[in-house]
Amino acid sequence: MSEPHEGRRRPPRRRSVLAAAGAGLGTALAGSLSACSASGDSAGSGVTLTFSWWGNEDRAARTTQAVRLFEKENPRVRVRTSNADFGSYMQKLATQAAGGGIPDVAQLDYRQVSQYAGGGALLRLGGAVRDGTIRTAEMGADFLRTGTYEDEQYAVPMGRGITGFAYDTRLYRKAGAAAPEPGWTWQEWAEVSRKIARLRERSPDGRPVAGANDGGVNEDVFEVWLRSRGGRLYASQTRLGFTEDDLTEFWTLCDELRKEGAAARAEDTSQATSTETSPMGRGLAAADFTWDAPFPGYPALLGDHVHFAPVPTTGGKQGAYFKPSMLLGVGAHTPHPGEAARLVDFLLNDPRAGDILGFSRSTPPNRTVAARVAKTLKGAERDIYRYARRMEEYGLDAPPTAPPRGDVAIQTAFNRTYQRVMYGLASPREAARELIDEAKRELRS
Amino acid sequence: MSTVSTEAPPGADRTDGPRRSHAPKRRGPRRDKQWPAYVFLTPWMLGAAVLTLVPMAVSLYLSFTDYNLFEAPSWVGLRNYREMLTEDPRYWRSVGTTLLYVVVAVPLKLVLALGAALLLKSLGRGRSFYRSAFYAPSLLGASMTVALVWRALFNDGGTVPDVLGAIGINTGGWVGNPDLAVFAVVLLTVWQFGAPMVIFLAGLQQISPDLYEAAALDGAGRWRQFVSVTVPMLSPVVFFNLVLEMIQSFQVFTPAFAISGGSGGPADSTMFYTLYLYERGFTASHMGYAAAMAWLLLIAIGVVTLFLFRTSRSWVFYADEEGR
Repeated sequence: MSEPHEGRRRPPRRRSVLAAAGAGLGTALAGSLSACSASGDSAGSGVTLTFSWWGNEDRAARTTQAVRLFEKENPRVRVRTSNADFGSYMQKLATQAAGGGIPDVAQLDYRQVSQYAGGGALLRLGGAVRDGTIRTAEMGADFLRTGTYEDEQYAVPMGRGITGFAYDTRLYRKAGAAAPEPGWTWQEWAEVSRKIARLRERSPDGRPVAGANDGGVNEDVFEVWLRSRGGRLYASQTRLGFTEDDLTEFWTLCDELRKEGAAARAEDTSQATSTETSPMGRGLAAADFTWDAPFPGYPALLGDHVHFAPVPTTGGKQGAYFKPSMLLGVGAHTPHPGEAARLVDFLLNDPRAGDILGFSRSTPPNRTVAARVAKTLKGAERDIYRYARRMEEYGLDAPPTAPPRGDVAIQTAFNRTYQRVMYGLASPREAARELIDEAKRELRS
Repeated sequence: MSTVSTEAPPGADRTDGPRRSHAPKRRGPRRDKQWPAYVFLTPWMLGAAVLTLVPMAVSLYLSFTDYNLFEAPSWVGLRNYREMLTEDPRYWRSVGTTLLYVVVAVPLKLVLALGAALLLKSLGRGRSFYRSAFYAPSLLGASMTVALVWRALFNDGGTVPDVLGAIGINTGGWVGNPDLAVFAVVLLTVWQFGAPMVIFLAGLQQISPDLYEAAALDGAGRWRQFVSVTVPMLSPVVFFNLVLEMIQSFQVFTPAFAISGGSGGPADSTMFYTLYLYERGFTASHMGYAAAMAWLLLIAIGVVTLFLFRTSRSWVFYADEEGR
């Protein structure tokens, strides 16, 4: 649910169908191999690596295909793959970590890095990065820093994502609002949202259309708002970077907009878990704060008049930043650290792997690979690539280091606590105090 | 999940007294014949030790620690318990939600089960068909699928809000409404009244027809017969069902998980005790806290069960102790 990149739905292309067919075969083989893994390991001089990730079928097919290519290049190495959807993957990985070891190579969420690195479940990758086994020259140094914990590299970004604003150009034009530009402000955004609500447009089921979704439930939106004012979510691994006043101000703004009908209704916000169930996806709002990776799902669902724009700023200061959509880490107890590092490097930097993986994990972090793959992009995917380039030129602050381990819990608490405001069970200030108390308890350890 | 062992039918321990007085006399000659019993019991006892007692001991230990699954548990004494009881408003909200649920769902379910059992008893032909039909939801109801269908029924644009809307009661979707979401869960549970119904039915069939005949001769109408014959004769079964359902209701999890998509929402309105426990343990990685919650739940269920057993003395009537 918290993974922002699964909303994408697009008609399957011939290439991905073929890839899926191939991968299906590959997975079947891998499955039968895993049943006799012990004998597989001891039979020859070969090395068997385990590699797991989460994601949809398209991502699974592409990843398996890239892994097969790696095996062909490294005949001594065999890779056993496994994947799942985000929720069950998170739990499985946690259980594996508790039971003594995560896979040799594992896809990680930004929010997991501190938890796993701090818990000794991840191998330090600094050495492999310095000796060039994992090449990072094509990645931004700031961006690479997102995989660090206490100044040590534990994970390497696998995709680069950024927040943005999906909006319905037809409704914006109808309301007489200008297309959002990189420097537009939160006040302008609030005004536009009110204007759209005043249009009294009707959704397919006959209800009034709001100007935007309610960002109050979303920690990511708050972070962007906070950063645009020069703040940050976390001051350190154990301290929040914002105050009760900051959060009260943000939630008051959201609360007012919702009460005026400029933001979506509480019931619709609390039930939104994907692109399809979001207020905008259901035709109940004209805009939605979202990530670049799931954005192509919106035009696919609603039509080509939906575009991707920058999030609002405070006096021209952008709060958005490039965030790793996911990272790769190596299990601390791997018997084959060298091979694991080689697999990581192959997936991130090999141009052929880049071609296969495409944008299935947002923009590839390797700039050369990204530029190469970008040439083949069309439609909404091309939009988000252009958007990222545009934001790079506009100038964004460096991303923060990986969030503290309590952030997983704080993120869900954020949503839940604001729900109490939406339903009138708490005032913005009471809710803010409640969240901060809870966050402090999460950060204490 | 922890379950207090109340599986023995009520009154089973009533015969303890007399038997105990004979025990010393019999123990001598019997002892050498007991070993086969222990041999046959060994697999079960091993299972009980390894799968129940050891995990329980570990859980008790973990409840005094801070344990996030990744690092070794660190001893924090009573901190988890103190935090739960004094610092965590959500803990008390989950207690409140669960109590509300128990107080509403258990009586409702038992009344429905008893009503259905009475109907079935008076039914001649087709009784077994209806019995199966009423029992079916209990078999299906525990599944995730049914809970998801339930969610769809009560959601925005679902059948229930639509039908209610058509007769002038505009509730909107229950699932998105913090005042109603909990009742969607209550109805899902109440609908699965098959298990207590079957037990009620068995109890009803145990009541001697002579009693009804005698009552009828004395001029008792249907209602009078129900109040003066059925209810007292059925009271051990009512008690049994009450205790069982109460214990189960305190541990309600699946329906709430499915209806809220695991979030306990909207706004924590379906955040039942066990769901909160699960969230603490598996989402927030506070296994020690979750273990402490589990122990307090065990104690709470134990206390409530004990209370029910105490009060039962004044309202449960056993046919074999008429002289009391």
